[in-house]
Amino acid sequence: MNKKNYEIVDSTEKLEKAIEKVRQAQKQFASFTQEQVDKIFLAAATAANKNRIPLAKLAVEETGMGIVEDKVIKNHYASEYIYNAYRNVKTCGIIEEDKASGLTKIAEPIGVIAAVIPTTNPTSTAIFKSLIALKTRNGIIISPHPRAKKSTIEAAKIVLEAAVAAGAPEGIISWIDVPSLEMTNLVMSEADIILATGGPGMVKAAYSSGKPAVGVGAGNTPAIIDESADITLSVNSIIHSKTFDNGMICASEQSTIVHRNVYNKVKAEFAARGCYFLTKSEKEKVGKTILINGALNAKIVGQSACRIAELAGVTVPEGTKILIGETSSTELSEEFAHEKLSPVLAMYKAEDIHDAFNKAEKLIADGGYGHTSSIYLDVITQQDKLEEFRSRMKTCRILVNTPSSQGGIGDIYNFRLTPSLTLGCGSWGGNSVSENVGVKHLLNIKTVAERRENMLWFRAPEKIYMKRGCLPTALDELKTIMDKKRAFIVTDKFLYENGFTKPITDKLDELGIQHSSFFDVAPDPTLACAKEGAAQISVFKPDVIIAVGGGSAMDAAKIMWVLYEHPEADFADMAMRFMDIRKRVYTFPKMGEKAYFVAIPTSAGTGSEVTPFAVITDESTGVKYPLADYELLPNMAIIDTDLHMSAPKGLTSASGIDAVTHALEAYASVMATDFTDGLALKALKIIFEYLPRAYDNGPNDPEAREKMANAATMAGMAFANAFLGVSHSLAHKLGAYHHIPHGIANALVIEDVLRFNAAETPAKMGTFPQYDHPHTLERYADVADYLGLGGKTPKDKLEKLIAAIRELRHKIGIKDTIADYGVTEKDFMATLDEMTENAFDDQCTGANPRYPLLSEIKQIYLNAYYGRTFTEKEYPKA
Amino acid sequence: MKLDNCISERINKKIFRDGNKCIKLFDEVYSKADVLNEALNHARVEETGLNIPELYEVTRIDGKWAIVSQFIEGEMLSDLIAANPKKYDEYMELFVDIQLDIQSKNCPLLSRLKDKMNRKIDLTELDETIKYDLHTRLDGMKKHNKLCHGDYTPSNFIITPDNTPYILDWAHATQGNASADAARTYLTFCLEGNIAGADKYLDLFCKKSATAKKYVQSWMPIVAASQSVKKKDKEKDILLSWVNVVDYE
Repeated sequence: MNKKNYEIVDSTEKLEKAIEKVRQAQKQFASFTQEQVDKIFLAAATAANKNRIPLAKLAVEETGMGIVEDKVIKNHYASEYIYNAYRNVKTCGIIEEDKASGLTKIAEPIGVIAAVIPTTNPTSTAIFKSLIALKTRNGIIISPHPRAKKSTIEAAKIVLEAAVAAGAPEGIISWIDVPSLEMTNLVMSEADIILATGGPGMVKAAYSSGKPAVGVGAGNTPAIIDESADITLSVNSIIHSKTFDNGMICASEQSTIVHRNVYNKVKAEFAARGCYFLTKSEKEKVGKTILINGALNAKIVGQSACRIAELAGVTVPEGTKILIGETSSTELSEEFAHEKLSPVLAMYKAEDIHDAFNKAEKLIADGGYGHTSSIYLDVITQQDKLEEFRSRMKTCRILVNTPSSQGGIGDIYNFRLTPSLTLGCGSWGGNSVSENVGVKHLLNIKTVAERRENMLWFRAPEKIYMKRGCLPTALDELKTIMDKKRAFIVTDKFLYENGFTKPITDKLDELGIQHSSFFDVAPDPTLACAKEGAAQISVFKPDVIIAVGGGSAMDAAKIMWVLYEHPEADFADMAMRFMDIRKRVYTFPKMGEKAYFVAIPTSAGTGSEVTPFAVITDESTGVKYPLADYELLPNMAIIDTDLHMSAPKGLTSASGIDAVTHALEAYASVMATDFTDGLALKALKIIFEYLPRAYDNGPNDPEAREKMANAATMAGMAFANAFLGVSHSLAHKLGAYHHIPHGIANALVIEDVLRFNAAETPAKMGTFPQYDHPHTLERYADVADYLGLGGKTPKDKLEKLIAAIRELRHKIGIKDTIADYGVTEKDFMATLDEMTENAFDDQCTGANPRYPLLSEIKQIYLNAYYGRTFTEKEYPKA
Repeated sequence: MKLDNCISERINKKIFRDGNKCIKLFDEVYSKADVLNEALNHARVEETGLNIPELYEVTRIDGKWAIVSQFIEGEMLSDLIAANPKKYDEYMELFVDIQLDIQSKNCPLLSRLKDKMNRKIDLTELDETIKYDLHTRLDGMKKHNKLCHGDYTPSNFIITPDNTPYILDWAHATQGNASADAARTYLTFCLEGNIAGADKYLDLFCKKSATAKKYVQSWMPIVAASQSVKKKDKEKDILLSWVNVVDYE
C-alpha cells in the first residue's frame, strides 16, 4: 500500500495551511478541460477499484466493524458505479446550449469541499466523495472519524496519487490526520460546501457552520411484507440486505412488518434461512445490550449476529445470520424500534395492510424521517396498495421488492436510481437535498440568457368578405359549403325594426336555413341581456350565430355564444387581467363546437367583427367584464356597406374617430408588427380622407362609406393583434363613469396620450423585449409622414399629427373637452381618483409603449377635462 | 464562630452548625478559586429570588477557607422519602416542580453548561475516539440559558417545618440546557442503584416539562462522561457503558 509521505495535519495551524494548499490547487484545477478532468476521473476510479480488497481489509481491521467481503463490494461500487454513472456527464464549462432560445448553461466548480466521512463506510465514502469532487473540478478536504482515520486517509491517498499522476494539481485532495471536533469545524467553516455524512451531531454542526451543506441523516427503514408478496423473494432480499456489511448501510431494514395472513410463512422462511427468533427473555437481553439510554451501544455496531448474542448472554447457533425480535410496539421505549446498525431486526405482525402502513409511518417518525422505506407486494395486482404506501411514507426513497441496503444506494436493483453513498433525506431529515447525492450537487451552474424577442402573431377570422352588396353571396356559403341548418340572429331593436336584418332572413329563407332572432341588445350590453339571448339560443339550438349591428350587438352576440357553448363559464375568471395573453392563468373554453359565428357590422368603427374582444356589464354590480381571447374571434366577417349607408352623423363621427384611435394605438403598441403596421397606416390614411366625407354626405356617398367600412375593419385587425394602449384605458373608464360615447371619450384623450407616449424620457417605459428604448415619437412621425402632413423634426411631425387629428375631430363635430360634454367639475373630481386607478388597471394599459404612473393618468384626465396640454415633469439634465 | 457541631463530613470538607449559621469548611487541598466560585455561584443564584440559604460571608478559619451561610432548619427530602415511602409520589412531584421552577430562572453571569461539559470531556480518561463523539454530540445540542443546579438530588433539598422547600449546594450551578440537568439527576438516581426511582423521575420530568424522553436521553453520555472525571471505581462500568454509544449514521 501507500508509501509516499505527506505532512501530518494534526493542528489547526497545519490544517489552515492544508486548506490553503487545496484552495490553490483547486484554482488551477478550475481551468481544466472536460477531457483533462475525464482522464483524471478515470485514473482515480481505476486506482480505487484496484485497491478495493486491501482497503476493505484495512477498514475492518481498524474499526472492528463490518465484513471484509462486503466492504470489497462497497469499494468496488464506489469506484466502478460512480465512474460509470458520470463517465460521459459534462461537468466542465458549457454543459447545455440552446442557440435558438439564447440559453447557455455553464458548469463551474464550487471550490473546496469539506467531506466528513463516517466509520461505517470509511473507505467507500471517501472514494465516492473524492471521485465526485474530481469529476467536478473541486478540491476536497476529508475529515475522517478518529475510529476509522487510517483507512479513510489511505483511500484518499490512493485516489489523490492516481489523480495527480493523471495530471491533477498536487494537493487537490487533503485530509486531517488527527481528527478533532475543532478541526472538523474549522474545515467546515473554511470550505465552500460541506458533504456531511455522520450522526446528527455532525450533520447539525455542518448546518450551523454557515456554509451550504449537503448532509444526510438517520434511517429507520421499515420493510412491509404484504400478503400478496413473493415470500421467498421478500425474506431472502431482507436477509441479503440486513446482513450486508453486518447491517451498517443506513438504508438497511430495521424492522419488517408482516401481514398476518403470511406471518407464519414468513417466519418459517426466515428460520429456514438461518435467522434466529429470540425468545421473550432473550429479546429483552439483546434489547438492553444494543441500546443504552436510547443510544446505540458502540460495541454492537457492525458486529455479527452471533457476536451480539454473545454480548447479550444469549446462545444462538453458529452462523446465525440475523437476530429477530418479535414485537408489537413501535414506541421508542421498544429497543427494537430503533435503528440498530447491526444484523438485528424487529418483526411486527400487521392486522391488515393499513395497520402495516400505520406501523411503518410510526417507525419512520421515530427515527427515519426522509430516509428510506420498503415494501414487498405484487405490483401487478396491488397498485392501489402501492399508491397508498408511496403517498403516506415521508421518505425520499421508497423501494419496492428490493433489498434496501443495496437498493437504496442505487443502480444495483434499479438502474435509474442515481448511484451514491450519500443519500439525501430532504427537509424531513433536515437536508437540503432529497435525492441521492451526485455531481450536480457539487457544481454551480451559470445560466447565460441572451435577450430574445417574443414571437408575435397575426390572427384574423378565417373569412373576411367585403364589397358593397356582398351579403347574400357571402351567406350562400352557410348552406353550400357548411350545410348549416339553423341560424340565430342577434341585433338591436332599431336595426331589427328598420329592416336591417331582412336581407339576411330573406337569404336564409332562400337557403332553407331556419332562423330565429334576438333583437333586444341595448348599448353597453348587460349580462342579463346576454343571458336572455343565450336562453333563447339554447332552446333554438342554432349551428350558426349571426351578429348584426355595431359593437354592442356584436359583443352581446359573442357573450351569448360563450354562454351557449359553455353555460358554466365564469365571467370574473374570463375577465382576469393578463400581462401576456399567452401566459394567462385562465384557459378560455374552446369555442365553435356548437355554432359558427358570423359578424356583420352596420357601422364603421368598432372592428368587433375581426377582434377577439367583447365587453359585457354585470348590471347587478355595475362591473364591466372586458373579455379577450382568440376563442372569441368571429369565424366570418361580412363588410357590406349597404348596411352602413343610413348611419346617423353622431354614430359616423364617434365610431369613425374610434377607428382612428384603434389604428394609432395599434401602431404605437409595443406589440406592433409589420403586419399590423401596414393595416394601421392604411386605415389611418383612408379615415383622414374619407371620414369627413362620410360624415358630411352620409347616405349619398357610397364610396366614402365603403372606404370607412374597410378602414374600420383593417384598424380592427391591427388592434386585434397589436392590442391598444392608454387612450382606451382612459376612455373605458370615462365612458363608464360619465356616459361619454366610447369613440368620443377616446377622441378627448388621444391628443394628450400622443404627447405622453412620445416622451423620450418617460418616467417608465413599457416592458417588452421588442421595445428596446422609448421610440414612440419616431413611430408617430412615421404616421405623420405616411399621411403626408409635413414637418422637419420628429417633434414637428408629432405636432402636425396632433393638429391633423384636432382638425379631423372638428370637421366631424367632436368637441374639445370633457367639460364640453356636460360633465360637471364636481362630478368629475368626485370620480377622478377612482377612474385613474381603474384606468391604470385596464387591460389596454399593458401594450402601451409608456408604462403610466397613476399621477400621469390623472394629469391626462385633468388635461382632457380642462383642455390643457400634457407637459412632462422636469428631469435632471445630463 | 464555633466549630464544635459537625453535622456532615464529606471528602475534603466538613459542615458545621453554629446557631443559625452553617459553616462549610474546606480542607487546605481545596482550590481557593473553587471556594470563591462556589460562593459567587451561590450569591448569583440568591439574586434570582429562589428559596436558598442566605450567604453571609466567605472567610478563613485557621488557614482554611470557609463559606458561611444561613442554616436552614428542616429535613432532607431524601430522609423524608425514606421515612414515608407511601408519600413517594407526592415528594417526587414536589421535587420535579421545584426543579422546573429553578430552570425557569435566568442567571446570565453564571458559567455555561456547555463550556463546563466540554472541559469535563477533555478531563476524562476516555479514549480519543469516544471524546470526539462526545464533543460532536455536545456541539449538536441546543444552546439554552436556563438555570441548572448541576447536582439536583433529594439530599440537596430541605423542607422546613412550615413546609418551605430550600435548595442547597450551588457549587455546580450553570446556565444551559435543562435536559442536561435532568439527565444529571437521572444519573445520580441510577448511580445510587435506584433504577426504578430514576425512571419514575424521568417520566415525571418529561411529562411536566413537555420534553421528549429521547431529548433528555441524548444528554446521558455527556453527563456520564462528566461524572467519570470523579474517578469513582464503583461507578466506572456503568458510566463507561453509558458513554460508549454512537449516533446513528
